[in-house]
Amino acid sequence: MTGDGRRCWRDLDELLDTPDFREALGREFPAGAAELADGMTRRSFVRLLGASIALAGVGGCFERPRERILPYVSDSPESTPGVARHYATAMTLGGYATGLLVESHVGRPTKIEGNPDHPASLGAAGVYEQASILQLYDPERARTVRLGRAKASWSEIAASLSPARLGAAVGARGAGLGLLLEPSASPLAAEMLGRVRERYPAARVHFYSPLGSRASDRASLTAFGRPLLPQYDFRSADVVLALDADFLAGGPFSLRYARDFADRRRIAAPTDAMNRLYVIEPGVSVTGTTADHRLRVRAGEVESLAGAVFAAVMRQSNRPGMPGRQGIPDSVASVLRGVEPPPRHREWIDAVARDLTAHAGRTIVIAGERQPARVHVLAHLLNAALGNAGRTLRYIESPITEAGASSHELGPLVEAMRGDAVRALIVLDGNPAYTAAADLDFLAALGRVPTTVYHGLYENETARACHAFLPSLHYLESWADGRAWDGTASLVQPLIAPLYGGKTEAELLAALLGDAEASAHELLQDLWRGRMTGTDFAGAWDEALQRGVVAGTAAPETTPVWQWDAIGTVLSRSPPPADSSLELVLEQDPSVYDGRFANNVWLQELPDPLTKLTWGNAALLSPATAARLRVATGDVVALAYRGRTLRVPAFLLPGHADESVTLRLGYGRGAGDETLAEGVGANAYRLLTSDMTMFGGGLAVSPALGDDGTPLRDRLASTQTHWRLEGRPVALRATLDAYRRNPAFTAPERGRVLSLYEPRPAGGDQWAMVIDLATCTGCSACVVACQAENNIPVVGKQGVLDGREMHWLRIDRYFEGSVEEPAVLMQPMLCQHCEKAPCEYVCPVSATLHSPDGLNEMVYNRCIGTRFCSNNCPYKVRRFNWFDYNAEVAETERMAKNPDVTVRGRGVMEKCTFCVQRIREAQIAAGIEGAATGEVRTACQQACPTRAITFGSLNDPGSDLVRRRAEPRRYAALHELGTEPRVQYLAAITNPNPELPRGNGGE
Amino acid sequence: MATAVSSGPAQLTDRLLAPAWTPSRVWWVLFGISGAGTLVLAGAVAYTVATGIGVWGNNIPVAWAYAIINFVWWIGIGHAGTFISAFLLLFHQRWRSSINRVAEAMTLFALVNAGLFPLLHLGRPWFFYWLIPYPTRMGVWPQFKSALPWDAAAVATYFTVSLLFWYLGLVPDLAAARDRAPGRTRRRVYGVFALGWRGSGRQWHQYRVAYLILAGLAAPLVISVHSIVSLDFAISQLPGWHSTIFPPYFVVGAIYSGFAMVLLLLIPIRRAFQLEDIITERHLDNMAKLLLAMAWMLIYSYVVETFMAWYSGNVYERYTYLVERPFGPYAWIFWGMLTANVVVPQLFWWRRLRVSPPVLFAASLLILAGMWTERFIIIVTSLNRGFLPSSWHFYVPTWVDWSILFGSVAFFFFLFFLFLRFVPMVAISELKQQRHEASTAAAAVAAR
Repeated sequence: MTGDGRRCWRDLDELLDTPDFREALGREFPAGAAELADGMTRRSFVRLLGASIALAGVGGCFERPRERILPYVSDSPESTPGVARHYATAMTLGGYATGLLVESHVGRPTKIEGNPDHPASLGAAGVYEQASILQLYDPERARTVRLGRAKASWSEIAASLSPARLGAAVGARGAGLGLLLEPSASPLAAEMLGRVRERYPAARVHFYSPLGSRASDRASLTAFGRPLLPQYDFRSADVVLALDADFLAGGPFSLRYARDFADRRRIAAPTDAMNRLYVIEPGVSVTGTTADHRLRVRAGEVESLAGAVFAAVMRQSNRPGMPGRQGIPDSVASVLRGVEPPPRHREWIDAVARDLTAHAGRTIVIAGERQPARVHVLAHLLNAALGNAGRTLRYIESPITEAGASSHELGPLVEAMRGDAVRALIVLDGNPAYTAAADLDFLAALGRVPTTVYHGLYENETARACHAFLPSLHYLESWADGRAWDGTASLVQPLIAPLYGGKTEAELLAALLGDAEASAHELLQDLWRGRMTGTDFAGAWDEALQRGVVAGTAAPETTPVWQWDAIGTVLSRSPPPADSSLELVLEQDPSVYDGRFANNVWLQELPDPLTKLTWGNAALLSPATAARLRVATGDVVALAYRGRTLRVPAFLLPGHADESVTLRLGYGRGAGDETLAEGVGANAYRLLTSDMTMFGGGLAVSPALGDDGTPLRDRLASTQTHWRLEGRPVALRATLDAYRRNPAFTAPERGRVLSLYEPRPAGGDQWAMVIDLATCTGCSACVVACQAENNIPVVGKQGVLDGREMHWLRIDRYFEGSVEEPAVLMQPMLCQHCEKAPCEYVCPVSATLHSPDGLNEMVYNRCIGTRFCSNNCPYKVRRFNWFDYNAEVAETERMAKNPDVTVRGRGVMEKCTFCVQRIREAQIAAGIEGAATGEVRTACQQACPTRAITFGSLNDPGSDLVRRRAEPRRYAALHELGTEPRVQYLAAITNPNPELPRGNGGE
Repeated sequence: MATAVSSGPAQLTDRLLAPAWTPSRVWWVLFGISGAGTLVLAGAVAYTVATGIGVWGNNIPVAWAYAIINFVWWIGIGHAGTFISAFLLLFHQRWRSSINRVAEAMTLFALVNAGLFPLLHLGRPWFFYWLIPYPTRMGVWPQFKSALPWDAAAVATYFTVSLLFWYLGLVPDLAAARDRAPGRTRRRVYGVFALGWRGSGRQWHQYRVAYLILAGLAAPLVISVHSIVSLDFAISQLPGWHSTIFPPYFVVGAIYSGFAMVLLLLIPIRRAFQLEDIITERHLDNMAKLLLAMAWMLIYSYVVETFMAWYSGNVYERYTYLVERPFGPYAWIFWGMLTANVVVPQLFWWRRLRVSPPVLFAASLLILAGMWTERFIIIVTSLNRGFLPSSWHFYVPTWVDWSILFGSVAFFFFLFFLFLRFVPMVAISELKQQRHEASTAAAAVAAR
């Protein structure tokens, strides 16, 4: 092809590809919902949407971004077709970025993994990050710019937002302009916002996230005068006290915290030391199930107990040989001197205080986000009193833009909107119409603003209420940046050209400044050109893209300046009166977060770590409280709280605090384009009020009655309906003491069993897995990793109710002991790859058989679906395609499928393959080089934040696998059956305080 | 045998063939009902094949349910015919002649139904032939360690032999029908099926030999088929399935339910066609005694199974037999099964009840239901709570499951009504021979 010809076509191409041209196309061939005739089912609608986008070629699905992006550095610079490449990027959630590696096949991102070089990930990835790949391909994402009810173009919107037009509406200084964003630590966003503020000095810029912790910022302002963020080092902590803090799951830095915490919990030998975790909490969190001692109290009692712990620590500290005051002035120490815990908790509090003081300097006290500022202040004080600062924790300036400022309150903005002071409001992401506290009545206030613009991924509740809508870009399509919890900056590079069109936040903010044609890539480069150290910007830029972190950007430690007077004042303020009424506790959902992932089917179908509920939420309450209220699991109850009522099914959760009801946010989404999310579960935001942090007393619960006066029931889709182990040797645990006394306590559950069959040949690679139950928290990152890697379909709520969920890897959760104070055991359960597999000999067509390297293999093509293998599988890990589940997957979502793994059709059995595609890839690569097979990592292992899963070959003597398999606490689940599984478990070990009678450890 | 010979052999033939020539109104009504039920079955099957077996209630862990229950139930029912024909023939139980034809036909139709389910229950039924060992270029064979290919082979063999046995027994009667049928078409059709039977001495001789050989072949099959079916369960390691008593236990249960079905069919036929002199009280009495005997063998199996579960000390076995079945979520089905299969047959200790058609009819119905629930208990209550408590899950059948079950019952009766209409329902030639032998014996006695 000649250069001229190529050029000619390229120009035409570029001409065709302008967004305005695309929008013109869109008008000619409408693909929106409004044009569709009635009578079309959702499914066919979704399919049509997907098909139209894929077939019409709008957007160009496999197109790379036009700007130069760079693959992760470990890959060879040459692209090999058929070989996946990994690109580093970052996803921001809750304001903080987590570094990721995204697997990409020929320009098509398929799987999200953690970035080993990023401090918030260290190679692990959480459920939200991993499932976000499905959001990228969601066919229900918005794809058209809307002005009023008509389709519009970006240039029209940009023109109306330009200073010339907008300035006229909101005043030259922008007094009538409101901007509502989500809290963020992005330097680019901060820069652009700064420029907008320069242009419109009087504009109201606000940040809102329902889950954002204003309490911890307030506490920092009180204690230090600055919004400092504590950075905990769990690797150095021997004793940890969590005050309603679920630091192992769900939070912005939880992957890292889980990793560090687990490093101190993973004991290779009985003689090793182990940390100890105390948790005080109302519900049962992932962290709570990991605790060695868990005190279940109402959320409102945590504050007084924290004070009691502080008082007890102060008493302890003054004893000889103890650390002393650590500079805490008497004015502060004396405030709580007389505080005594309630008698029933006294023993517990005293023991914890003794334990903390005995390990002074090697402890951590961490307060939960939803607890009021006073609890956070007490946590700061306790850490100071125990000499932890500088040893197990350090303080940094919060990386969040305007952290601690009043701009993080939503109330004043709503007030201004209601007072007609806001003439134009631009909402960037978030969904305040859905997430704002009910008493603010955000929607009504929004209705008073003459011009409202929403910029987001979906036409959601807020978008529907706004005059103009502009699609935003998914982070996998965007140029942006972000900062992690510890301040480390990352660049966000796109993996794929925008599927549906749209603009990034920075581009929209640039339009406010009159630059409608700004590109996020240029804005980002301009920003970082001044910030990257060294002279070679291009090199530094490339390095930042390749590594996924900008070197040297972690926030420096800052020495806090204690404001003792302010602290004394806060502490001496009398705590809230003892309230024994029923309490409502709201919390982030482990699946759908604050509701933004409610349209993500992987997350909707991801079982909650504790309740194992999918597709909806429930009012969680203790069996004793349920008995008092006369409700059972599945009864619909009416929760009446401060004049508002919500109907939601009840769910009895052993271990939940009495007289407290936990309800997860993010469900009950309203009308919008997110049809899968709509109406799933109950909207807990309707009970959220602006004055409560996330809990409050005075809840009334009554059985909900139907129109005919009969009690209502609802069907809750739980993937595990039985709670007890029935004394079966499946998930084993012991205390550290017991383990030291008898290291061979699992010996009866391992080793060879008498058998008539020959042992398997054992040469070459022999794959095996070890799962450490001591470090498994049940966070479920592995479940999503497996789903993404292995193209596992979802079955919907009815499918789960019918017992047909398809997860190859599930996490079994067992309660032991009393229903009031149960010990919780988490056990990842997947195909055990039995050497003497019961499934294999019953298959009439040899569709499941053993590979020479020890895999139990499934030949989909040969399977005729007798399901005998599943019947004979004692672990019930086989999954059957009852329907053609993949027929319902939208065209765009098909792009998320892993091309290395077969998509299974109807009528065949499937199950965990030990990620055989990765094994074969490694073996082929090794074969070419004539070397031994290198390290193979399964998807679940890779995602696990605590590194509880180890995989490798039994014949690789130096491997972690062989070393861990040699640990004395190894055992095989259902050992006596003689299946000789290749997956073996390490019994959970807990480290209860011998001073306390009841620990989380059996015995 | 003190049968009152009210008529000569020719009249007997006419009388027994009469229903084939002129169908009654009742026949049309019943035929219509069972035909409608058959359409329901066809609809449910088509829906299942088109959509996937997800339309059933099955799940993980209960991956087998109604289809396999129905299969085992029907194949069990299919045992009585051949048992009556072959075993009783070999043991010279001459009373069998009055009932063997009905029993054999019943067997065939039950087997047709039974054969439906193993195909239907597959995830991909269109590949059912992979269960059959046929030579392919790829050299792929079924896996002979599994019980399922053997099961397919056993059922196919049993069906073939049963069909041959039934048909061979029919030949002389078909010839009689050919000779007496009104109208040429019928004569021709029966003529084709009579395979040129002339009733010559040579033909009778060869017929007898062939019939005896087939009986000899069929008799062990009665034992083997359900033994192999039982291995579908026994070779697994699931508590509730993993049991060495399964083969005899299944055979006994099969014959038990088969006899119940024979009685269920015979009692109305005897009444409708006024065959009280042919199917006499003695027949009813004998059948009831057999039911009682089978019931006790079954009780023995129940006791041994439960005892072994306890005696093994195995926590899983004990849970299934001593907790899950008697007290679990399906306990009411378990106790209903015991009532039907264990308590009801104890009625037959009394002769008065053994010869009472209403009692026998009701008892047969209960026993048939009881044997269906026995398979439900074996399959569902073993699967729904297996080794790992985390995987326990309830099972509830769907409307498609029920449609297929009742549709298959309708289909069975549909075939049976066709049989009553077109095929001699009593072995006329055997009966005539017996009567002849009885009368010559009586004459000899009289002459002495």
